[in-house]
This record gives sequence, structure tokens and C-alpha cells, in this order.
Amino acid sequence: MKKKMITALLASAMVLSLVACGGGGTDSNGGGDTSSSGSGTSSSSDSNKLTVWAWDQNFNIKAIETAAEQYKKDHPDFELEVVETSSDDCQTKLTTAANAGDYSTLPDIVLMQDNSYQKFLKSYPDAFTDLTDMGINWDDFGKLKQSYSMVDDKHYGVPFDNGAVIACYRTDILKEAGYTIDDLTDITWSEFAKIGKDVHDKTGKYLLTSEGTGGDTMMMMIQSCGANFVNENGDAYIVGNDIAEKCVDIYTELVQNDVVKLVNNWDEYVSTITNGEAAGVVNGNWITATIASTEDQKGQWAITTMPSVDGVDSATHYANNGGSSWYVTANCQNKDLAEDFLKSTFGSSTDFYDAILPQTGAIACYLPAGESDVYNEPNEFFNDQPIYSTIVEYSSHIPEFTKTPYHYEARECINTAVVNIVNGTAKADALQEAQDTLQFKMTE
Amino acid sequence: MTKQKSKSMIQRRLIPTYIFLGIVSFISVFPLYWMISAATNTSTDVSRGRLLPGTHFMENFKNLMSQQPLWRALGNSFLYAILTTVLCLLVCSIAGYGFEIYHDKWKDRLFSILLLAMMIPQVATMVPLFQMFSKAKLLNTAVGFMLPIISTPFMIMMFRQNARAFPVDIIEAARIDGLSEVQIFFRMFIPTMKSTYAAAAVITFMNAWNAYLWPKVIMSDNRAMTMPMLIANLITGYKTDYGMLMCGVLFCSIPTMIVFFVLQKQFAEGITGAVK
Repeated sequence: MKKKMITALLASAMVLSLVACGGGGTDSNGGGDTSSSGSGTSSSSDSNKLTVWAWDQNFNIKAIETAAEQYKKDHPDFELEVVETSSDDCQTKLTTAANAGDYSTLPDIVLMQDNSYQKFLKSYPDAFTDLTDMGINWDDFGKLKQSYSMVDDKHYGVPFDNGAVIACYRTDILKEAGYTIDDLTDITWSEFAKIGKDVHDKTGKYLLTSEGTGGDTMMMMIQSCGANFVNENGDAYIVGNDIAEKCVDIYTELVQNDVVKLVNNWDEYVSTITNGEAAGVVNGNWITATIASTEDQKGQWAITTMPSVDGVDSATHYANNGGSSWYVTANCQNKDLAEDFLKSTFGSSTDFYDAILPQTGAIACYLPAGESDVYNEPNEFFNDQPIYSTIVEYSSHIPEFTKTPYHYEARECINTAVVNIVNGTAKADALQEAQDTLQFKMTE
Repeated sequence: MTKQKSKSMIQRRLIPTYIFLGIVSFISVFPLYWMISAATNTSTDVSRGRLLPGTHFMENFKNLMSQQPLWRALGNSFLYAILTTVLCLLVCSIAGYGFEIYHDKWKDRLFSILLLAMMIPQVATMVPLFQMFSKAKLLNTAVGFMLPIISTPFMIMMFRQNARAFPVDIIEAARIDGLSEVQIFFRMFIPTMKSTYAAAAVITFMNAWNAYLWPKVIMSDNRAMTMPMLIANLITGYKTDYGMLMCGVLFCSIPTMIVFFVLQKQFAEGITGAVK
């Protein structure tokens, strides 16, 4: 009986497979059709359609879909297809396609993170389209933001979301320890450390939370001085770099004095915010989305500038962390349409930025957008501060610094060095190791 | 009296074993419990470490449905996984059978080369494979998805090893009775080796269901989305909705669990190589 059943099962599975093979066949034809919109074999019939790779339904995807709706008002035939593709997958697919020399799987427009783009442009320059003459007034975007998508004075990307760094504090916890948000505005890291120690002694909370090896705190610190862990030649520059050493000193002291809570990964990081363990967060302004999702902390948060590094002439209270830009790929068959679409939405329309702000919380890098009424509205969650216009204002002050395709490698090396120092390694040894590892990774 | 005493002594001796097993099963089952309970809580509660089940399942489910094509992804995953499993079982069992029953020196050498291929990581073959598939115009097709995984050295080896236990006498008897070689395979070998097939089915189904990198690289179409791709889309934003994420993970895990539980007994037999 059992034998018969298994045989029957196998037989039916085979029949099913034959039927499904037929189905698979038609399915594959369908797939072929849609890919052809990218590969251009049917550009005459699909000439008004653009495909886009982007991630995050609530943020990037909603933004570009809103842009498409606006663009459709003047161009009724326009069509946009978004293929949801995570940032890592975008990179894997681009790398594979570029190495295989076949760009036909690429979409017309792709979203890329600012910190990872330089590596791709340098490795695969022919995968992207030069957009310098597309008709955007590039100076409407902050200088630093532009520089992420530029090589040799040529523009390759249309800047999108803003990564200006903000410091967010729990005003109720500060009050309990006897401080106000003004005491933490425009201060240096050593003042921050003093207040942080006091807050931890009085309330048991941490004034800062940060990820162990994947954390951005060190990168934000050094970039707020207009510096980096690499020099202008693109080599690792940690040993003998005064500013780097000062940042390392400050950060290790913060960790040793319980001012900063070091956690292992992003999920734990979010958890320190939602469970009220952290009294403060310093990160790209997109962190407000995570903070604001904890509804019972409404009205308890306020934002201000990040602390500056002590004893460095070029130190400021402004840095950038994260953010992304739109790129037109070499596979785009209708370059004029892609350029016109990006120009008339992301590149010039304050109405567009006003429309996406309440829906997505995506803050523009387009400086004129910060002057509108929508951006100046008080935000209930953050003590009625007009946080959006404040953030756009911050982003105009961010100093430029030497960029490197090895941003993430540098971040990992320097964070490892800090963890080693905290665990007892001599500072000189730890920094030398970081320098050597980073230099090695650059040759890979 | 003595009988009772010895019985209670045995029971007492078993106490540490039960405690150990209890701890181990708790460790294995807890993540599953947590996944289910997290799917019923709000994102904030999950991130605060709430362990008890909540009342937000429907809300998480609605959010998931509004953001992601859940049914399509489930349908695609089922289609690809079942097709791959059936084809893989057929191809690999024929290969394994052939290597064992008709074996000679050259086939053994060929088999060794095949085993060497197991050592090459998938990532290393990705670019050449992509190039081949792009030339064969198989990018963005279901065939392209399945072709690289329907024949794996591991599966061929598993069938070959198990075919060793298949009695040669039966084959000879069948030959005398006038069965052709193909008939012997389908009528004698397959029914006898069903536990091996079950084990292979579970492994292949799980691999195909969880396949992520290769499908993601060659499929650039929303309509081809599978469950692992859907899960990946849930964790890429600036803000993660943990409740919704766990709800998606739950839907992704249920089918593999069902397949495993249904074939559990045969799976254990097949892995240990028992033939009945």
C-alpha cells in the first residue's frame, strides 16, 4: 500500500513537472519580455518605460513612485517599474554583470549608497552614464553630497536623501540628571564625556549607543574634522595621523567610562534606543525614523548638533553618514527620458520634495527645498522642533574630506583597533595593525 | 518489590539524561517559538525583547501583504522548489545508479573528478556561469534558475553510496526475467530506494527553497520574486519593522517544516543508508 502511494506520488510529481515545465516555459518568455525593456530590443513600444532598482518600500521606493506620479501629469504615457533590490544585492548584481561583460540585466536607473558608489565607479566606469550636462543646477545640492557621485569633475549621480549627522537626546533623562538640550548643543567631545559620565552615574543610562565593529561613530568624528583615515593618495593614513589618534583617544575614553554602550549589531543598537537604555544617539538623520517608531517616547526627544573633536583646528559640528543617489546605467536605452525624469523631479522640484517628506520622512539634499513651509513645520515627536529645516541647514555646513572607495574597510579596521585598545592592547600596536590591515585590504 | 526498586533506580539514572535532553530541545525549539511569538508583536515590543505572544499578528500580516507580493513569492518558491526537486532526484539517481551498477575504472575516475567539483564554492563559479547563461539567453528564465542546481555532486554521491546496498541478485534475476535496464531502474530500483529518495527530496527541496544568491543574480524581474528575496527586502530599509519581518520569516519557514515532518521517518532512514 505504502509502496503504491509513493509510486503514485512520484508519478504525479512527474506529471506535474511536465505541466509546470510548460508553465515555466511561458513564464520564461514573460521574463524575457520584461527584461527586453531594459535591453532595448523593444524600445519602440516601451519607449516611455523606465525600470529602477531600489530598496526600502517606505522610503526610496515610495519617493521614486511619487516622482513618477508627478512626472505622469505632464507625460501621461510615462511608466515606471521598480524592482525591489536591496543595496547589497544591487552591488552583487552589478559586479557579476560587469565582470561577465553583459549589462543587459541592469535597469535604466539604479539607487546606490554614497559610501559604496566610488568603488563601483572606479572599478566599472563604463557601467554608468555621465550626467554632467543633463541640465541640473548642481550647486543646489551641498558640495559634499555632490562629491560622493563625482569623479574627475564629472557628475554621475542625482543626489537623493540627506545623510547629515544629528545628535538626538532624551530630554527627560537629561532633566533627571540636571541637564537641558542647550547644555549639549555645540559642545566638544570632552564636554560630552563629562556630561555622559554624570548621566550614567545618576540614571544608569548611556549618553551614546554605538555598534562594535560596524559602527559609524569613528567615521563621523573624523569626517566632522574634514579628515579621513586615508590620505590624498588613497593610502591608509592612521599611524601618524594626529586627528585620527585624537578621535581614537576620545572614543576609547567614552567606552571605558560607560558613556557609550557598545553593542554587537544593528538590531541590538535599535533595541538600546527602543528600550530606553540610550539617552542619546549620534547618527545620520535617517535614524529619526527608528526613533519615532517608539511611540511612547513621543515628545521626549530633541535634536541638536553633534559634539566636535577637541584640539583640532578644522573641527566642526557637522558630518555626513549614509544617504544615496540615483544613477543612470549604461544599459539605459532611453537616456533622454531618464535624465528628464530625474531632472524634473529630484533635480529641480521643491513641490516634489514637499510631497515626499510627510509620506517618507526622506529629507532632501536639494537645498532650496529646506525653505518651504512643509520643511519648517514643527515635529510633535521631537518637542515641536522644526527638525527638517534644521537638518537641511546642518547639511550645508558639512566639511569636505578625502573620499575612499574603501570606506567600509576603513571603518572595520578602526573599530577593531578601538575594541582592541579597550581590551588592553597598546594603542600604538593597535593602530599599526589597523594601518597594515587597511593597506592590505586596499591591494585586494 | 525488587522489581519496583530496580525500575525506580533506572528512572533515577535517567534523570540527568532527561535534563540534558530537555535543555537541548529547549535550545532548538526556542528560536522557533520566538519567531512565532515575535510575528504577533509590534516592532517596538520585539526590539524590547518581549517573549510572550501578542495581539498584532493580523496587523503585521496586513502590513506585509500591502508591501510585498506574498502569495506570488510563495507560489514561485513552491513552483521552483518542486520542479527542482523532481528533476534533481531523477537526474542524480540515474547518475548515481549508473556509477555504481555499471562501474568500471574510467567511471570511477570520472566520479573522483565530480567529487572534486564539490570543493569549488558557488561564488567562484558565479561570473562564468552568468556569462554562459547570458550567451545562452537564459537570464531571467525559470530554466536559468534551476539548471545549475538540478545536478549536484553531493546528490549523485548520496545515490551512489545508497545504490551499493541495492542487491545485485535482484538485478540479475530481473534481467533473466526479461526486464530491460530502464525497466529495472524504474520498477526495481526506485521503489526499493524510497527512503533515499525521501532524504534526497528533503535536502533538495530545502536547498531550492532557500536558494538566494544565484536566483537574485540572474532574475531581474519582480514577477520572479521568491520567499528568500521577499525576506531580504524586509530588512534593507533605514527602519526595520521586526514584527512584519518575523511574520514573513514564519511564512517562509512553514513549507520546509511541513516537508521535513512529512518525510521525517524516511529522511532518517535514508541518511543512515537503510534499505528495506
